[in-house]
Amino acid sequence: MRFRRFQTRVVVFFVGLLTLLSASTLLAVSVAVTRNARAQIGAELAVGGKVFARLLTARTQQLADSARLLSGDFAFKTATSSDDRATVLSVLENHQARIRADVMQLVSLDRQLLVDTLHPGRTGLPFSLPDMIARAERRQDASTIAVIDGRPYQMVAVPLLAPLPIAWICVGFIIDDQVAKDLQRLTNLQVTFLGRRPGGGLTALASTLPGAMRQTLLTLLPDASVTDDTTLSLSMGRGEYVTLLAGVGGKADGGIIAVLQRSLEEALRPYRRLQLVMLALSGAGLGISLAGAIFIARRVTKPVLTIVQSARRVERGDYDHSVSVNLSDEIGELASTFNTMTKGLAERDRVRAELERVGRLKHFLSPQVVELIVSAGDEAVLASHRREITVVFCDLRGFTAFGEQAQPEEVMGFLNSYHDVLGPLIFRYEGTVDQFTGDGVMVFFNDPIPFPDHAARAVRLALAMREEAATLIESWRQRGHKLGFGVGIAMGVATLGKVGFEGRFDYAAIGSVCNLSARLCAEARDGQILVSQPVFAAAQDLVDAEEIPALTLKGFANPVPAYNILKLKESNAE
Amino acid sequence: MAVSAGGPMIAAAQSIEGFVKTPEGQPISDAVISAAAVSGSRPAARVGRAIVDQQDKEFVPYVRAILVGTEVIFPNKDDIRHHVYSFSPAKKFELPLYKGTQAPPVKFDKAGLVVLGCNIHDWMLGYVYVLETPYFETTAANGHARIADLPAGTYEVQVRHPRLPEGAAPASQRVTIVAGKDERVEFVVNLKPDVRPRRAPSRASDKYR
Repeated sequence: MRFRRFQTRVVVFFVGLLTLLSASTLLAVSVAVTRNARAQIGAELAVGGKVFARLLTARTQQLADSARLLSGDFAFKTATSSDDRATVLSVLENHQARIRADVMQLVSLDRQLLVDTLHPGRTGLPFSLPDMIARAERRQDASTIAVIDGRPYQMVAVPLLAPLPIAWICVGFIIDDQVAKDLQRLTNLQVTFLGRRPGGGLTALASTLPGAMRQTLLTLLPDASVTDDTTLSLSMGRGEYVTLLAGVGGKADGGIIAVLQRSLEEALRPYRRLQLVMLALSGAGLGISLAGAIFIARRVTKPVLTIVQSARRVERGDYDHSVSVNLSDEIGELASTFNTMTKGLAERDRVRAELERVGRLKHFLSPQVVELIVSAGDEAVLASHRREITVVFCDLRGFTAFGEQAQPEEVMGFLNSYHDVLGPLIFRYEGTVDQFTGDGVMVFFNDPIPFPDHAARAVRLALAMREEAATLIESWRQRGHKLGFGVGIAMGVATLGKVGFEGRFDYAAIGSVCNLSARLCAEARDGQILVSQPVFAAAQDLVDAEEIPALTLKGFANPVPAYNILKLKESNAE
Repeated sequence: MAVSAGGPMIAAAQSIEGFVKTPEGQPISDAVISAAAVSGSRPAARVGRAIVDQQDKEFVPYVRAILVGTEVIFPNKDDIRHHVYSFSPAKKFELPLYKGTQAPPVKFDKAGLVVLGCNIHDWMLGYVYVLETPYFETTAANGHARIADLPAGTYEVQVRHPRLPEGAAPASQRVTIVAGKDERVEFVVNLKPDVRPRRAPSRASDKYR
């Protein structure tokens, strides 16, 4: 499996999560705001549509009022009733200029165009807006928005009363870009007036939109899709426009369509700034979380890597270090556990080494002593020191000659049985073996285990060894080998401690007391146990002894008083 | 209120009781019922004067029938001035702003309908039916009118009303009257909607009444 960095995963996870959260928040807000903006625009369009309708009604009313003023003019009635068309045209042109209208027409009751200010010479044609006249007949006046000569006009018809209607006065205001602009100022909406072409299709009659967008609007609005009070969403120019279609004017007169629009983008403009702020905040949040994720990941990975390095060192057997991670969390716990484990491993190795040493201690210490040292947990007891000890030295008389005469197998066999006899005795009396080579054996007491009766123990060991050795020697004498056993015991202060080198060291006693015991042993005849004065003093209650003449010994300036131990006193016999 | 018709030369006098109603049976007032002798003979009726008042900015009566050649005077009983006019082909005239009885009488010397208007109050509307026969009467609110003093003979009885279609020949019935016997005539007609201009609301109107 591919190695994937923990840090990368943490960073990817957190940054990914935050990105997802930010993105979904942004998206949700954007969707909500856009929906809200749409609803708001919808409401604005509805209000705009009403304002628009109201404005048109007001204009219509104004038109009707100004037309009605003319219908009350008696001279005009007179001119009309006398069919004086030149005068009527003049009156209409004058009135049109006064009320700033764009067209005035006089229509007969049978809907013939009598006078038209747009076409002064034209007369007697059927009037182009019969539907409006029909409505005016029913309701005294009527209005419409109609296309005349390709241009949209807001038209009003009122009767000329004398006192019954004798003709219809029609007044019209042109609807041009200026009107659209005025409506835009009031409604804050884009206003376009669309007309239907005679052959089908739509044409933009007047608009607040720039030319190119008028064309776009026309291409987006197929004639068939145009119905009154429809709300559409059109994508044109710089974005989306929410669009309301409102039919104005009578359909029979070829009514036109008012298109009210509001740019969604414009409505969303305040939100766009908010969106930028949100994006910036999200970006900052991402940056912070990226840094945080890296920081946290490093807090984890760095100590872990340290622990890994340590583990590798431990793998190589190097326990002599610890991981220092100052954290109070799981990682810190892992580090401290790791340290404990390392210490445990070190301890285990130490114990293993110790056990090896213990194995070696067994060469020169009785099992009890070894046990003591091990249970004490260290070898401090084996450190160099000085103490009073009692040294027992023994060897065989005539062993050198025996070694030369006898077969090697016999020599080794004898030595083995000799050692087999002496070894258990030494352990029984808890002596410490200093030398155990050939026929010479050196054992001391009171170290490393202190015994208040170390001298007595030494004497008892010597007596026991003499007894066992005598039996052994007797059996060998029968085979023709003449051997003897002598012991020397001395008491005094010696230097004790480990000697040797790593992997092979002994526990040894050094001092004149050792020499003395060896010299006494050398002086002893077969069966004799020679002890120094202090030994005798310590053991005289235990054994019967005889004093022998003081011995002159090599290495000792003065003759040394010595005693030969005979036997245990009856009362102390085991 | 009727224009005086008939005369001492008529020995016997019968009458025609006319009734005008809608198809639904509603009586129609202000309808002019007239009777013209089929023979074309016309009594030498004396042409008198007729009055159309202006009261509370209305023409009273709303409908007035007269014999051709009658002079009509238009007394103004309001305390403001009126400007009575007509553009009807039967009689075009104008009585510019006047009060009381300042205006001269107007002679209606051509048969036909004359629609009266006031140049100041455009809702003021009056109808004057100028007839060739002296035998006519206007229906009352109950739709009835009685033409009296008719000599025996055969008559074309016609009905006219502002809300009957203009231009078309008036509804007519031929009625023969024998001496000593009155006749009854009933007309069922459809009226056009009333398209009279609305009266302008005026705070002053109450004060002047």
